Amino acid sequence: MIKITDLEKVYRTEEVETVALNKLSFEVKHGEFVAVMGPSGCGKSTLLNILGLLDDPDAGSFLFNDIEVAHFNERKRADLRKHNIGFVFQSFNLIDELTVFENAELPLIYTGVKAAERKKRVEEVLEKVQIMHRRNHYPQQLSGGQQQRVAVARAVVNKPKLILADEPTGNLDSSNGNEVMQLLTELNEQGTTIIMVTHSEHDARYSHRIIRMLDGQTVTENIMI
Amino acid sequence: MFIHYLTIAWRNLLRHKANSVINITGLAIGIAACLLIFRVVRFELGHDTFHKNYKQLYRVVKHDAYPDGLVYEEGMPGPVTAAMRVDFPQISAISEVFSSYGSQITIPSGTQAPKKFTESSGVLFIDTSFFHMFTTKWLSGNASVLAQPGKVVLDKEHAERYFGQWQEATGKTITMDNQIPLMVAGVIENQPLSTDIPLSVLVSFSTLPPYGNRYNYTQRWQHSTSNHQIFVLLPSAVTPASINKQFTSFTRKYYDEEVAAKKTFFLQPLKDLHFDTRFGNMGDHTTSRTTLLTLALIGGFVVMMAAINFINLCTAQAATRAKEIGVRKVLGGRRQQIIFQVLSETAIVVSLALLLASGIAFVAKPSLSLLSSVPAAVALFSKDAFLFLLATGVAVTLLAGLYPAFILSGFAPVEALKNKIYQKGGARISLRRVLVVTQFAISQVLIIGTIIAVKQMNYIRQADLGFNKDAILLLDNITDSTSLPKVATLQQQLQQVSGVKAVSFCSDPPSSSNDWSSNFYFNHAAKDESFDIFLKIADTAYFNTYGLQLIAGRSFTASDTTREVVVNEMLCNKLGIREAKDILGKDIRLGGKWYPITGVVKDFKASSLREEVRPIALFSRKEFYGTIGVKLSGAGLSTSLAAIKEIWERTYPDYVYNPSFLDEKIANFYQQETQLAVLYKLFAGIAIFISCLGVYGLISFLAIQKTKEVGIRKTLGASAASIVVLFSREFTLLVVAAFVIATPIGWWLMSHWLQGFVYRIPMEITIFLLAIAISLLIAWITVSYKAIKASLANPVKSLQNN
Ligand SMILES: Nc1ncnc2c1ncn2[C@@H]1O[C@H](COP(=O)(O)OP(=O)(O)OP(=O)(O)O)[C@@H](O)[C@H]1O
Ligand SMILES: [Mg+2]
Repeated sequence: MIKITDLEKVYRTEEVETVALNKLSFEVKHGEFVAVMGPSGCGKSTLLNILGLLDDPDAGSFLFNDIEVAHFNERKRADLRKHNIGFVFQSFNLIDELTVFENAELPLIYTGVKAAERKKRVEEVLEKVQIMHRRNHYPQQLSGGQQQRVAVARAVVNKPKLILADEPTGNLDSSNGNEVMQLLTELNEQGTTIIMVTHSEHDARYSHRIIRMLDGQTVTENIMI
Repeated sequence: MFIHYLTIAWRNLLRHKANSVINITGLAIGIAACLLIFRVVRFELGHDTFHKNYKQLYRVVKHDAYPDGLVYEEGMPGPVTAAMRVDFPQISAISEVFSSYGSQITIPSGTQAPKKFTESSGVLFIDTSFFHMFTTKWLSGNASVLAQPGKVVLDKEHAERYFGQWQEATGKTITMDNQIPLMVAGVIENQPLSTDIPLSVLVSFSTLPPYGNRYNYTQRWQHSTSNHQIFVLLPSAVTPASINKQFTSFTRKYYDEEVAAKKTFFLQPLKDLHFDTRFGNMGDHTTSRTTLLTLALIGGFVVMMAAINFINLCTAQAATRAKEIGVRKVLGGRRQQIIFQVLSETAIVVSLALLLASGIAFVAKPSLSLLSSVPAAVALFSKDAFLFLLATGVAVTLLAGLYPAFILSGFAPVEALKNKIYQKGGARISLRRVLVVTQFAISQVLIIGTIIAVKQMNYIRQADLGFNKDAILLLDNITDSTSLPKVATLQQQLQQVSGVKAVSFCSDPPSSSNDWSSNFYFNHAAKDESFDIFLKIADTAYFNTYGLQLIAGRSFTASDTTREVVVNEMLCNKLGIREAKDILGKDIRLGGKWYPITGVVKDFKASSLREEVRPIALFSRKEFYGTIGVKLSGAGLSTSLAAIKEIWERTYPDYVYNPSFLDEKIANFYQQETQLAVLYKLFAGIAIFISCLGVYGLISFLAIQKTKEVGIRKTLGASAASIVVLFSREFTLLVVAAFVIATPIGWWLMSHWLQGFVYRIPMEITIFLLAIAISLLIAWITVSYKAIKASLANPVKSLQNN
């Protein structure tokens, strides 16, 4: 599903040039659950942003379902993204002015789904993450774990083929964290490909494979049994 | 999708309640003020445009050359109409109208006492060709009914006032000035209010000549009065320039060569009738285009200020919405969608403001007639007002919405999520500074304008007129041959009323809008002097009643005819006589006879303070005493007034009692200026208010941004005062920057305005210092309020907030 070859990303500021990704290459197959690990600053988030089509690489090739997307413009990226990719962030990134229901509904609005269908699908996912009873609450009224469950619901409501999660448990205590990991595992079992950045060896154990990075390069790939 | 935006916009409004209120009220007040100004400007600009031949109609006017300048006059000598009809065959139609102001109309009502009305807005003697040129709608009868003498046509309003229902009017007889019987021959629809040729009571022109003396209408070429005006309709092939050229030979034909050389006739387009302040018109006012432009500018300024507030607050808020925009983009929101979202949110706020503005304007509309010449009957909302609101709404939405929309939609999603855009805010903050300085500058210009306008009006009100205008009651005196013998008794009776200090019969009070002037000869010269002398015809009580001061000689001897003359200082000056006493005993010729000068009176202001003091001659002559001035002591005023009314009505039972007070009449000279001064005050107030809102909104935003900084500083031991200083330093700088811009603009504008007055206040530096002091004070108060709140906040709380 994803194949990157010699991917490069360089951040230039006035004084310094940071090589965030240095000729990075790997492949992720349909249905895989991959964890990305590495020390702080090694380029994990940068990688995820590029995989999520939020950012473009400076060099290298990025095949998404066998289509070269490295050179896509913003509009094409947005279109590809909204139909295929769901995101889960460490800091949840829910919109404060919208209710739980409306937050989860947002991706469907952008893909132009009809209101009745939206209602059905949002209720379905909220049910799945067990937050239906809080559907009319605002994010500030929820605990961290609940907020992240809403974020997961939002990420999957469009039935994306790929979910990118950047330290999804980073702001959660262990029991809330486990709940979220459980959810991701279920989604993966139902066929969704998942790429997750994490600092936790514990969380990484939920995945099939760990890609370890250092200074913008992959160092090892462990296969989990 | 749109519903979704509506929800988000609405919740945003609620979440930032204070900001929303500031945003919407500020904008609404600005738009409301602008809407009212729009109404005034449209009303003034729309004068007489309803006439179908608007562009082809002209008025014949003239100017006479005097050594000290041109004197413009809209009045025409009586014989001009007939002569023009012969000499200008190329003009399609020529019409003359003669207006009589303050005429009395009496309606007999069978056995009961007749109804009496004073028509202060004018009874018009009018010919039939008028109706072929100007647009009117006939409800009954037609123009040809005015071909015969003794006929009158009424507009619907007057027909109803006189007879209850206009259908009743035709065929009835009414009496004008207790002398002229008139048969109602037709009724026309009421004219629109925006006209300078108001048609209400129209008497056939051929009725006038037999009563010419009474109304000062003559067939003399040398004599003209502004009551007699001539209009022409040009065919499209004939240019006004060609007519003006032909007027040169026209004046040569009918005047001596010397007179003709000084006299220039020319055509004034109907479209200038309302705006050319060199001339009067038959309506109640002229308004210079400059005044309208000033008003429109003020309106534009106010809306601009409100829009600036709006832009400032929108962009300020935009920064706090970075995360939301980031999330939307991650989820697939396109740039155009985000732009559309921000614009529609702006549109919602603007619509709310427009609604509120309409409400405010509606409530304020009745006061508009106090501040302008717009009659109360003119409706606020009309098609053009809605278009105006719509245009303003769209303009403000685009102005205030596009900028934040582009900024917001341009955020890179990854950075927006990290809230990195704060660091890149440098450029935007300086734009915001520019906008705030613009706002402060506008409000300072208005403050400067207000201070000067108010000072000038106070100066005029308290200026030494050279006579006493207080507590003088003015009454009409009737001077036809049957009434004249009653004058002596009337004077005696009035003097006996308790509370009456003096009674004087005269042509007009020392200061009036009456411009009676004449050429004159001095010291048995063979040729008349190069300038005209203004005439005040009065009895000897005049000096005492109005407190005029003789500085040389004595008053003329009491008499019913003219025997001696008193002049003023200005006449001496103009004749080159240094010492007032040197003119005593010299002779002056007015009309056909020489009279000795017996005294010199100290100069007094005979017209408005916009004009210079004029050379004046005072003398007695009973037939011209159309006015009674009664000096009251002020004690027991109401009983005195009642007694005076009783005496007057007993003396002149056929006439309407129309008392007025001189000081009020004088105040009316400056009506437009007074209104303008009030307007300035009002708009300066609005401008100050709006800029306060702007400062308040910005400072609130700054306070949110600085909450953490303030928290840290306080934990480190900063005092509340030092935090207030932190906040106010920047705004003080902005006010000072605005002052540098506002001062030259204010100075330039107001020195132009003051040019309109001969007697005016100097432009002092203190005025400008006062302006900056006021705006500094206001900025400080606003800033302090918010800053003190921020500095008193618990530092732990503000730190947790992040
Ligand atoms: N916008 C940027 N401008 C400049 N440098 C950047 C930018 N974003 C990231 N970097 C740099 O690129 C490198 C990789 O950053 P990245 O955020 O991908 O690290 P990470 O592996 O996600 O770290 P962490 O585990 O702390 O989240 C770092 O050295 C970082 O400082
Ligand atoms: Mg990271």
